[in-house]
Order: sequence, then structure tokens, then C-alpha cells
Amino acid sequence: MPDGDTLDTLARPERAGLLPYDPRARLAMALFLAFGFAAVEQVTTLPLLLVLALLLACASGQLWSLLRRLRAPLVLAGALLLVFPLVAGPTVLWQAGPLRLHVEGLQFGLLFAGRLLAIVTVTLALLATLPPHRLAAGLRGLKVPGVLADLLLLTLRYLEELRGEIVRACLARRLRGGRSRWRDLPGYGLLLAAALIRGQRRAATVWAAMRLRGHSGALAAPLAPMVARDWAGVALAAGLALLVLLGDRLG
Amino acid sequence: MHLPDGLLPVGMAIGGYVGSAALLGFSLARIARLPDPGAAMPRAAMLTAIFFAVSSLAVPVPPTTVHPLLAGLMGVLLGWYAVPAILVGLFLQAVLFGHGGLTTLGLNGLILAPAALIAWGAWRALEPRLPTLAAVIAGSGGVVLSLAVFAAFVLLGLPAEVDAAAERAALALFLLAHLPLVLAEGVLVVVVLRVLARVEPGLLPRA
Repeated sequence: MPDGDTLDTLARPERAGLLPYDPRARLAMALFLAFGFAAVEQVTTLPLLLVLALLLACASGQLWSLLRRLRAPLVLAGALLLVFPLVAGPTVLWQAGPLRLHVEGLQFGLLFAGRLLAIVTVTLALLATLPPHRLAAGLRGLKVPGVLADLLLLTLRYLEELRGEIVRACLARRLRGGRSRWRDLPGYGLLLAAALIRGQRRAATVWAAMRLRGHSGALAAPLAPMVARDWAGVALAAGLALLVLLGDRLG
Repeated sequence: MHLPDGLLPVGMAIGGYVGSAALLGFSLARIARLPDPGAAMPRAAMLTAIFFAVSSLAVPVPPTTVHPLLAGLMGVLLGWYAVPAILVGLFLQAVLFGHGGLTTLGLNGLILAPAALIAWGAWRALEPRLPTLAAVIAGSGGVVLSLAVFAAFVLLGLPAEVDAAAERAALALFLLAHLPLVLAEGVLVVVVLRVLARVEPGLLPRA
């Protein structure tokens, strides 16, 4: 889990911004837009994708938080932009010694990086801004098996337990003189096993208590029926994805 | 080592969803046949949390990233539960941190989940006679199998215009970057299973 992201930050109260949609609608919107964007084949369509993604990010009301989470995808997009022009296509655009930049590779690099950034931005804007229990409820509402929704919630619940166990085990290891070297890999295995055993004991106790209280699957509370606004959001996302695709194929 | 969004054709991404859904359905059916299907839920959630956390330690190596996979460990400790656990971990990474991808969730599931199940099968077959070798094969084999499926997807999905020699060189570099991981995950599974066998045998799938 990246630094600074704890269960508290992941589970912060929902801030809908300008996207006041039901979690089921958000999931459907994210899927429509992500698959629509993934099907784009022309570099000339990319500005439209990126503008739409940026608008959604602004509408989420959490632009800076999203930009922070985009760091890793940005690095990967940059790497794709660097590599593909060097390895793809016959048409040389520029040459310096053995290095050759190819037109086709540049187009592929732009296409892959642009699609990646647009899809990740849309996904984060629509889904990362939901509290985990609402996300799990959305999945349940879309008829995803209850095991998956329960597993998702319990995973987030135990993430903090695990973080605490690992921090304690790392401290104990340092106090015993352990160092961070490649040769100390078995030590990390011990650390992982110790964290797993202690975390598992607590997790099993919590789970047993929940079952004794009558829990029988479906931790996520059921959602109210989707209203017209939610359906309009889904229709808008599907329409935008279709328009992007039409523009891409006909443009 | 997750396929990012936007890299492969959308048809492959949809096929990945279909394949992962079929594997998930089969796994859930097998879980439902267990004497107490919910008993492994805390262990599955704890291992999903570990999988989620360590997969976030990613270093970019185009066209993807290098990070611990833990497919073998998940398979050995969770059995059929490894499939939902891996899919939930991948989903959380994609929607919370943009690592992996929403459109490539199915393909990424197919890279890791079958490797976890095969590692589990190999471990179960060898463990009674050669426990250490079984653990090494499960841990290292899980990484090797995942790498093989990943390489196959990349070769199938990348455009034909990519220079074949450069593509092979990039894949070779990528596989080389994962070699330490192959060894590390073998050692990791050996150590974890030994500790569990001594301290908490209840966490081992046979107990």
C-alpha cells in the first residue's frame, strides 16, 4: 500500500463532488468508459479522451488526491512513450547513432500511454472516491458473488491489522540486529509468517464473533433502488463511450 | 507484473473477463462443496491484504512493472479460495491505486490465478515425500507460470509492427528482471510453510 494511504484515508466519508451517483451506476459508468476508451485506435482521438478524463477528475471533487494516485501510471506511461518509438515501425523520424525514433512507434507509444492515463483517471475518479463499504455494496448490487464482496470488505479491514503487525515485526527485527539485505530473504519470510500468524488469529476471532452474531454472507448493506439520475449517468457514460468510438472510427 | 489498461486490444480484455469469470465460477462451486465454505474466509482476506500490499511495491519495467507476485503462496495456503482472493486483490489495486487495470482485470486474473492453482496442485502432489522441494516448486513455479502467461498475452496482443527482435529482447530483459523474484518466492514459500508447520499448523491447508 503506498505511503500515506491507510484504512482511514481509504474509508473516508464519501465526497460525491459533481458525481452524486449510486455505486452500481458508478461501476457501470467506469466499465462503459474504460472499455470505450480501450477500443480507441486513432491518436487524434486521444485529446478527447484526456479532456473527458480530466473533466471527470475535476467533477469528482478530489483532483489533487487523484493526481497523487496517478504518479505510478504516469511513470509507466512515460516509459511506454520512451520505449515504443525505439522499437516499432519502419519509418525513421530521427536518428542519432544507433538510436532511431520511428513514426509508427511514436504513434503506438502515444496511443498506449494516452489510453492508459485516460482509463486510470476515469477509474480513480469514479471508484477510488467511493468508501470501500459503498464499493462492496455496489458490487453486490450488480450481482457479483457475495464471497467477493465480503472478501473485499474483510481485506480492507485486515489491511490495517497487517500493517501494524509488519511494523511491529520490522522494529523487533531491527532491535535484534537484522539488516535489509538480499541475503536476509529468509528473515523476511519469517517476518511474513509471523505477521500472517498473528493477524490470522485476530481475523479468525473477529470472523467467529461475526458468525456467532448470525452473519451468513453479504456483509455489504443492500442499496436503495437506482433513481432516474443514476440511470441518466449510466446512459451518459454509455453514450460518451459510443460517441468516442464513432468519432475514432469515422474521424 | 500486471498488464496495464490500454496496452492490449479490447477484444483480448473482454476475453480475459470471460476466462476469469469461468475460473471464478468453477472455484466458487468447489468452495461451496467444502464442509464449511466460510471457514477459510479470514485466512483468504488476510492473504489478499498481503497480496494487495506487496503488489503495490512496483518498479516500472516497460511494458509493465516488477513486484512480488505471491501466486504460489496464495495457491498453497488458500487452494480454491486463491481465485477469488487474487481477483479481489487485483480489483482493489486497480480501483484504489490505478495499478493493473479495470479493463485488464480479467487478463491479470488469468495470469495469476491458474498459476496459483497449479502451484497448489504441484505442492499437494510432492509435499508428502519432498516437502522442501514441493515448497520451492510452488513458490518459484508460480512466478514462472505467471511470467509465461504474461509473455504469451503480450506477444499475442502487441501490434505486428513492433520489431520482432526488439520485442524478444524486451521480453528477455523483462524475464531477466524477474529472475530474482523466481528464486525469492521459492525461498519465501519454504520459510513461511516451515514456520506455519511448527507454530500454526492449522493455517496449512491439509490440517
